[in-house]
Amino acid sequence: MGILPQLILNSIIAGAIYTLVALSFNLIYSTTKFFNLAHGVMAAIGGYAVFYFSKTLGLDIHIAIVLGVILTGFVGFGVDKFIYLQLRKRKASNMVLLVASLGVMTALQAIIAILFSSRFKTLSGNIDTQKIFTILGGVITQTQLVILLSAVLIMAGFVIFLYKTQFGKTVRAISDDEEVARIIGINTNKIIGYIFFIGSAVTGFTGILIGFDVGIEPTMGLSLLLKGVIASIVGGVGNIYGGVLGAFLLGFVENFGIWKISGEWKDAIAFALLIVFLIFRPRGIMNK
Amino acid sequence: MKIIETKNLVKRFNGVYAIDRLSIGIEKGQITGIVGPNGSGKTTLINLLSGVLKIDSGEIVVDGTEKITRILPHQVFFYGITRTFQNVRLFEQMTVLDNILVVITERNIFSSLFEKHIEYHHKIAEEVLQKVGLWKKKNQLAANLSYGQRKLLEIARALAMKAEVYLFDEPFAGLFPEMRKIVSVIVQELKQKNKTVILIEHDIGLIRELCDYIFVMNEGRLLAEGKPESVLERKEIIEAYFGN
Ligand SMILES: Nc1ncnc2c1ncn2[C@@H]1O[C@H](COP(=O)(O)OP(=O)(O)OP(=O)(O)O)[C@@H](O)[C@H]1O
Ligand SMILES: [Mg+2]
Repeated sequence: MGILPQLILNSIIAGAIYTLVALSFNLIYSTTKFFNLAHGVMAAIGGYAVFYFSKTLGLDIHIAIVLGVILTGFVGFGVDKFIYLQLRKRKASNMVLLVASLGVMTALQAIIAILFSSRFKTLSGNIDTQKIFTILGGVITQTQLVILLSAVLIMAGFVIFLYKTQFGKTVRAISDDEEVARIIGINTNKIIGYIFFIGSAVTGFTGILIGFDVGIEPTMGLSLLLKGVIASIVGGVGNIYGGVLGAFLLGFVENFGIWKISGEWKDAIAFALLIVFLIFRPRGIMNK
Repeated sequence: MKIIETKNLVKRFNGVYAIDRLSIGIEKGQITGIVGPNGSGKTTLINLLSGVLKIDSGEIVVDGTEKITRILPHQVFFYGITRTFQNVRLFEQMTVLDNILVVITERNIFSSLFEKHIEYHHKIAEEVLQKVGLWKKKNQLAANLSYGQRKLLEIARALAMKAEVYLFDEPFAGLFPEMRKIVSVIVQELKQKNKTVILIEHDIGLIRELCDYIFVMNEGRLLAEGKPESVLERKEIIEAYFGN
C-alpha cells in the first residue's frame, strides 16, 4: 500500500478545489465571453474577509464564513457593475476587458496586502481540534472532508440551477446568443450582474476552505484561477461535467506526477497537461 | 391607425447609406410587405426597428406617441415588437422546448430561481410548437434540427412572445411547400387576431397573396408604396426589381 492511498486522497481534494474554481469561472466566462483575470482574487477576498470577521472582530466562525461569502459576492457584483458593465456598454473588445480585469486583479491584491500585509495567514486556528480521519490507509482532515462535501453540493447546485430553474434557462440563453436573449426581453446585463455575484461568492467560499486547509496570501488567486482554467479547458469550456472531469484529471495528474519527484514540479506538470490538450484535443474531453 | 412610423430614418455603414431618409408608416392589424432587390436595406430596416442596430438619425414612433431615437434590444420586447432573422438565430445548445420556454420565463430573479414553469407556460409552448409541427421534436437540441425546422422554430419562438408587431425577415426562403403553407397560415392567423406583421419577401406571388400594403425599397430609399396589385404593375418597379 504505502503512499498510494494518500496520493489518491490528495488528488481528490485538489480535484474538488479545482472543480469549484472551474465551475465558477466557466459560469462567468460563458455569459461574458471574456477572460476575467480578477476571478481568482475573489478567493483571497473570501479568505481575508473571514480572517477579519473572526480573528479581528471576534465573530463566531460560522457567521464570519457566511459574511465572507456574501461580501465576496458583492465585490464581484460591484466590479462588474462599475467597471466591466461600463466597458461592455461602450462596446469594449474582449481584449480591453481582459486588460481591465488585470487591473482589477492587481488593485484588489494590493488593497488586501495593504490592509493585512503580504504574510501568509491561516484560518484554522479557530478550529483547534481539527479532527483527522483515516480512510483506506490515507489521512484526511475535517476541513478536507468539508471541501469534498462542498464540491459535491455546489456542483449539484450548479446543475440544478442551470438546468432546472427558469433563471438557469435565461443564463444558458445568454451564453448561447446574448443579442437574441435581449430581443426576447431578457435584461442580460442584470442577469450577468447576478452571475458575477454567484460566481464570485463560490470562489470566495473556495478561498475560505483553502484558508482553513492550507492558508491564505494576497496573491493566492492567480495560480488558483489558472488551475481552474486548465481544468475547464481540459474538460471542455462551457460544459459543467467537463469542468468537473478536467478538475479531477488535473488533481490526479498533478499529485501522481510528483510521486517520485519534488513537489515544486506541480505547476509545471499542470501546464504540461494543458499543452498536451491544447495540441491534441483543444476543445477538451467533452466537446467534439 | 399607424402602429409604427419611421421619420427620416438614416443608417450608414462606413459612409454608405443602407437606409436613406426613410419615412414609412405601418398600419396596425395589417400585413405589410417590404420588397426590393438584394442590398436595398430591408434587413437593416428591421434591425433598426428591433434595436439590433443604432439609428444614425431620424426617429421611430411607436403607437403614435412614443418617439424613439435609440431602441435598446431588451426594450423592444416592451414595445411589443418581436422578430426573426434572415439567418436563423436559435439558442443552439438548448432543446426545442427550452427555446420556447425561455421566452416566457419569469423575469423576476427570485421567482425565476425558485419556481418551476407553471402549467400556463407549457400550454403556450405546446400550442406554438404544435402549430409549426415541432412538438414531437421538443426534446431535441435546436442545433440538430434541419434548415426548415430551424426556421419554423424561430417563428414559433416569436409567436410565444405574444407580441403586437411581428417582423419576419424572409420567413419563406428555402422552405419546402408544406412548410411554406404552415408559415403562410401563421401570418394570416396573426392578422385575424389584429396583430401587425411586417414581411420581407422576394416571392412576388406570396406578396400579392398575403400583403395588404407594400413598400418597395431601393438603395435604402422608398421607391413606391401602395396596394400590391397596383404597385407591382408599375413598370419602373419591375425594372428596379429585376434589373436590366
Ligand atoms: N452590419 C453591416 N455592416 C456593414 N454593412 C452592412 C451591414 N448590414 C448591411 N450592410 C449593407 O447595407 C446594405 C443593405 O443591406 P441589407 O442587408 O439591409 O439588405 P437587404 O435588403 O436585406 O438584402 P437581401 O435581400 O440580400 O437580404 C448592403 O449594402 C449591405 O452590404
Ligand atoms: Mg436581408
